[in-house]
Amino acid sequence: MERLAAARITARRQKVTRYEVIIIGGGPAGLTAGLYTSRAGLRSLLIERGMFGGQMANATLVENYPGFPEGIAGPELGLLMHQQAVRYGLEEITTEVTGLTLTQGQLYGVSTAEGDFEAAAIIIAAGSEYRKLGVSGDETFSGRGISYCATCDGFFFRDQEVGVVGGGDTAITDALELSRHASKVYVIHRRDQLRAGKALQEQAFAHPKLEFIWDTVVDELLGNKVLEELKLRNVKTGQQSTLKVDGLFVAVGLMPNSHIFFDILDLDDAGYIITDEMMATSLPGIFAAGDIRRNSPRQIAAAVGDGVTAAMSGFKYIQEQGNGIRTANPQADGKS
Amino acid sequence: MPVSSQPRIIIFTSSSCPWCNRVKQYLREKRFRFREVNVERDADGARELRRRNIKGVPVVLINNKPIIGFDKAKIDKLLPIR
Repeated sequence: MERLAAARITARRQKVTRYEVIIIGGGPAGLTAGLYTSRAGLRSLLIERGMFGGQMANATLVENYPGFPEGIAGPELGLLMHQQAVRYGLEEITTEVTGLTLTQGQLYGVSTAEGDFEAAAIIIAAGSEYRKLGVSGDETFSGRGISYCATCDGFFFRDQEVGVVGGGDTAITDALELSRHASKVYVIHRRDQLRAGKALQEQAFAHPKLEFIWDTVVDELLGNKVLEELKLRNVKTGQQSTLKVDGLFVAVGLMPNSHIFFDILDLDDAGYIITDEMMATSLPGIFAAGDIRRNSPRQIAAAVGDGVTAAMSGFKYIQEQGNGIRTANPQADGKS
Repeated sequence: MPVSSQPRIIIFTSSSCPWCNRVKQYLREKRFRFREVNVERDADGARELRRRNIKGVPVVLINNKPIIGFDKAKIDKLLPIR
């Protein structure tokens, strides 16, 4: 860990503003892209605002990433990918990207809270983030009964009753994780069947602590200081009801982190970046990889594959343009 | 005790919490010292959060003001960072 911190500080001290490739996002797509561009000898900067590993850092156990027959903890997999990329010279900075612009000489400018950077090619791997419940009381009870992280907060609900909203892999994994602490777990889902994988479904249906509330949405969160009660509505019958819970874990899907790109790149109606099969976006030299891309299956293994393709496309683009910035060029270190 | 100009920081954590690690890493990067209370092991810590009606971690307590989650903007404002 200390070595990683040191690498991060070094990247900042060098004050390099110009790179050949800038990668936005440090999840599996971005880390893989960075591994490939660094190994290809391109001077690469990875910008991550939160946590290296991205969404997978929230996964207790990843069981569908090839190479780990017993599964691997999400944070550990993220750490390993990160170590591997940094080993080949990937530079990194922890900050938020605030803008992307075309500068003169076919370079793209990336503005961040920690300064501005330029690169010939950009790989956007900013991923997605948890969709909020978006009902009255959502903000008020955040951390006071509402949670988006079962592994973090499950402990608070020992021998209590909790709800999980959602029907996908995350929701069911959360429900099973919570069953270790809670006395009862209600799974509230707006459809009449789960989207989660078959293996997870079987585990969930067989679990004595799990109870399923189908065709139902949460309309309102109620409570005095902490969450106490949910107002529910059956979407088929319109019938309303209330459910007393001590906590509610929200896993209602993901939203692409694409809002800063909407005026420069083609996005689909849901906000995902449109790419071709080489990960090229609507602008030359800008590539997208992983969850943020339209039609991504949103799996770690798929993001890794996208990262490879985007890196290779970026490499090819830079060679064709002939505007790669040679690392040996003293002007490249931005001291001028 | 050495004289310190930095505010008093306590981070409440649980054992398997990626955002707790992230917030600790962030404060270390910014060279702030803090005390960590793992509420799964520390019953007093758990009681303290319950008293404040908080049911989630990480919680960063800066001069007794709680920030729930890794809310970088709020942390930067209270510490203050830049």
